[in-house]
Amino acid sequence: MLRELGCDPPTLERDIIRHARLSLGKRREECTERDYYLALSYALRDRMLERMLETEDRYLQADAKQLYYLSMEFLIGRSLGNNLINLGLFESCQEALTNLGVDLDEVREQEVDAGLGNGGLGRLAACFIDSMATMHMPGFGYGIHYEFGLFKQIFDNGWQKEKPDHWLDEWTPLELPRPDQACYIPVYGRIEEFIDHTGQKHPMWLDWNVIVGVPYDIPIVGYGGQTVNYLRLFAARPSTEFDISIFNAGDYFRALEQKIESEKISKILYPSDTFREGKELRLLQEYFLVACSLRDIIRRYVSKHDDFESLPGKVAIQLNDTHPALAVAELMRILVDEYAINWHQAFDLTRQSLGYTNHTLLPEALETWPVDLLEQILPRHMQIIYDINAFFLAEVEARWPGNPHRKSRMSLIQEAPDRLVRMAHLAIAGSHATNGVSTLHTELLKSSVVSDFYELWPERFSSKTNGITQRRWLLKANPELAELITQTIGSKWITDLDHLRELEPLSQDTGFQDAFLDIKRKNKQRLCALISETAWVEAIPDAMFDIHAKRIHEYKRQLLFLMSIVHEYLQIVDEGILPQFPKTFVFAGKAAPGYTVAKRLIKLINSVGQIINTDPKVKDMIKLVFVPDYRVSVAEKIIPAANVSEQISTAGKEASGTGNMKFALNGALTLGTLDGANIEIREEVGDDNIYIFGLTSSQINEYQRKRSYNPHRVYEQNPDLQRVLGALSSDRFCPHDPGLFQWLIPYLMDSNDQYFHLADFESYIQARQQMTREFTDTKKWAAKAILNIARIGRFSSDRTVREYARDIWGIRPVPPQM
Amino acid sequence: MNVEFAEHNDVMVAFVLADQIDASSAGSFRDNILGKIEQGHKRIVLDLTKVDFIDSSGLGAIISALKHLGEEGELAICGVNEPVMSLFRLTRMNRIFNIFDTQEEAVAALGAKKAE
Repeated sequence: MLRELGCDPPTLERDIIRHARLSLGKRREECTERDYYLALSYALRDRMLERMLETEDRYLQADAKQLYYLSMEFLIGRSLGNNLINLGLFESCQEALTNLGVDLDEVREQEVDAGLGNGGLGRLAACFIDSMATMHMPGFGYGIHYEFGLFKQIFDNGWQKEKPDHWLDEWTPLELPRPDQACYIPVYGRIEEFIDHTGQKHPMWLDWNVIVGVPYDIPIVGYGGQTVNYLRLFAARPSTEFDISIFNAGDYFRALEQKIESEKISKILYPSDTFREGKELRLLQEYFLVACSLRDIIRRYVSKHDDFESLPGKVAIQLNDTHPALAVAELMRILVDEYAINWHQAFDLTRQSLGYTNHTLLPEALETWPVDLLEQILPRHMQIIYDINAFFLAEVEARWPGNPHRKSRMSLIQEAPDRLVRMAHLAIAGSHATNGVSTLHTELLKSSVVSDFYELWPERFSSKTNGITQRRWLLKANPELAELITQTIGSKWITDLDHLRELEPLSQDTGFQDAFLDIKRKNKQRLCALISETAWVEAIPDAMFDIHAKRIHEYKRQLLFLMSIVHEYLQIVDEGILPQFPKTFVFAGKAAPGYTVAKRLIKLINSVGQIINTDPKVKDMIKLVFVPDYRVSVAEKIIPAANVSEQISTAGKEASGTGNMKFALNGALTLGTLDGANIEIREEVGDDNIYIFGLTSSQINEYQRKRSYNPHRVYEQNPDLQRVLGALSSDRFCPHDPGLFQWLIPYLMDSNDQYFHLADFESYIQARQQMTREFTDTKKWAAKAILNIARIGRFSSDRTVREYARDIWGIRPVPPQM
Repeated sequence: MNVEFAEHNDVMVAFVLADQIDASSAGSFRDNILGKIEQGHKRIVLDLTKVDFIDSSGLGAIISALKHLGEEGELAICGVNEPVMSLFRLTRMNRIFNIFDTQEEAVAALGAKKAE
């Protein structure tokens, strides 16, 4: 291996100064912390690129099959700390900067989050690319180089307001533009049929507009620094800077408008994670991702192969949800139109190359696109989708002859009331593997949402329970706990999380418990400082930290958590029952800007917090805090401080969740429903180390089937509930804005609340009471928390990625020769 | 649009001197080619050696030339750079036109057709 760049502190110090001078044009005495951050990032990028080239050579030499992970979102957060750790250069860089009189922690704080995702789906993609690089797997992320990431959340009188996140203004110099690998992407136009000399008909795609996709590579360093893969993000550019003819005609603004029109495709990330916007721009974005990615993938493939026979043997493409499902039609178009491959062979190659991950059962999140919109934007693809549908429905007919209802249910096209393309059907019919993201979710997928497809192809369905990378969520986010673990059991857990099992015997060890509790308290102090700075509430680190941090959505039931808090508040102020210990209730999460109910919930939570936090009767025994602008770097401060992890979604609604795993890994106890991966977490940590409550998904299903859920009956039978809802819907929490929360009662009672808030209230309160009792026994609680850490190994994204690699992608690690 | 015409062996060769055929130049490019067809030239070679980008207007102009030539005429294309070829493949134009690496090969091929 040829490595020119040294990694010892003096060399790094020289390199940082060199980059300050030659990359930033700054003298050392002029450098601010931000300059040092940039100079350090450049110095690291040099080393990452050196290793990235080495990695590429290694894959090339091994002629390794490669995995391309297509995702509209990669929520990578900050990269500097992670890169320092994974490269093994943390201490060396710390020393180099100290010699320059600079504090590394301050330098790290200069970095902004790359918020190129909404929540779980995007963060999962980021964890996966970390795992692949760590395990030396040839796997690459492909996404969109959004100019604006997820909006910044601020509160104005308790209401969420959104501010643009122009992350590129502050972004690290880590990314590498690759204009030489730009590709042309046509959109719109029409199809005209031509006949060639042999009499064969050819549908020609004419009159399109062209957009240019320019790749930007972000190096992804695996732990140990030996393998560096990349995340390739495509930015949209116009085909020429200006249309010269328009410009020459003196219409500067129209020329500029055309340029902006092309660039807007990669301008913004759509800020909703569970309901679709149905906007033309979103469809263009999805196609842009698919077209740029496949052009790049095929370019790489044909540079090494003479035909497409071995495409599925060398290329695996994973669709992260249906957002990139147009890959089915685009790959078919490339094979059939561009490379003249027989249709049936092309479809076989397409299916063998693609895999699809389903992320949701929520009907409002299942993607469909109007046929007429697709015909307008992608006329050739719509033809191809029709062809695939005809072929697929023939397969259905062969399996279930004379069953038009089945065909209608399974068709890629919904015919009535509107003609829509069902993207999940397209993804399933066009791929060789479909997976859910937890055992329960996969079972529900197979038995309800796409049960016909499961009946047709049971062998194509599997479950791949989500995971998280311990390098980000323990080693980086909770360095003191990581250090304690390493000192105790060694460092193997960093690349094999099952080693945490070795901590089990220490759950009863007083010394280890004390060390754990001491670290937890320090993490709470760190969170208290953040809360003070951002939410202007003075929380105390000795309190129990009970945390609900995730996107705001009705099914995640922030409202249920709030109802229980109000219940405890009313016990204090109305009955004079003070809790045995102080509690800090923390909310964090963003609402989609167009999601009215979610935004009302934020206002409600903030209003309740304002009253509770200033009520002298409470005597500071409970605090309610809403930490604004939840993002990866904030999660890294919130999660290590938690005692209780609220995972209280309506059973059957959360596909997996990954927050539940992050909290448990950091020694929080889960208070949750039997939903998503909570079920598997319970299996791992044991019934005694988790608090489970509420209806199961089958009970909820039964209620819904029989239409027998009656919130009024529940309300009438529970005086505590009556008191809580009475307080919440009255003007008690909105004294200056009478009637503001009156919507709550009809919302919960008259619409037969599909999220079952009232039905689960009583068992939730009981579980909380048990949890509160057990928290008073500090040693017992610490033992449970340590057992959560010890038994959470299964939820490493390394395990998830290994399962995908083995069962779906067929890729193998290509480790360096040592 | 600047197109240089030269006749070789009864085949009209149109050598495009611009590096792009786009909305700003497709109209005059089309008129130039159609002018030659109307003058009676039925075998045309389009040399795109210098061209590195064609947008859909440019492709439309070439299609228009093909249509004007009709069944008796012949259109061949040569000197197609990879970016342009990728656009031809994308629209399946590579399957409609006779495409040759060099002008000589294209002229020879159309000349041979005349001999048939």
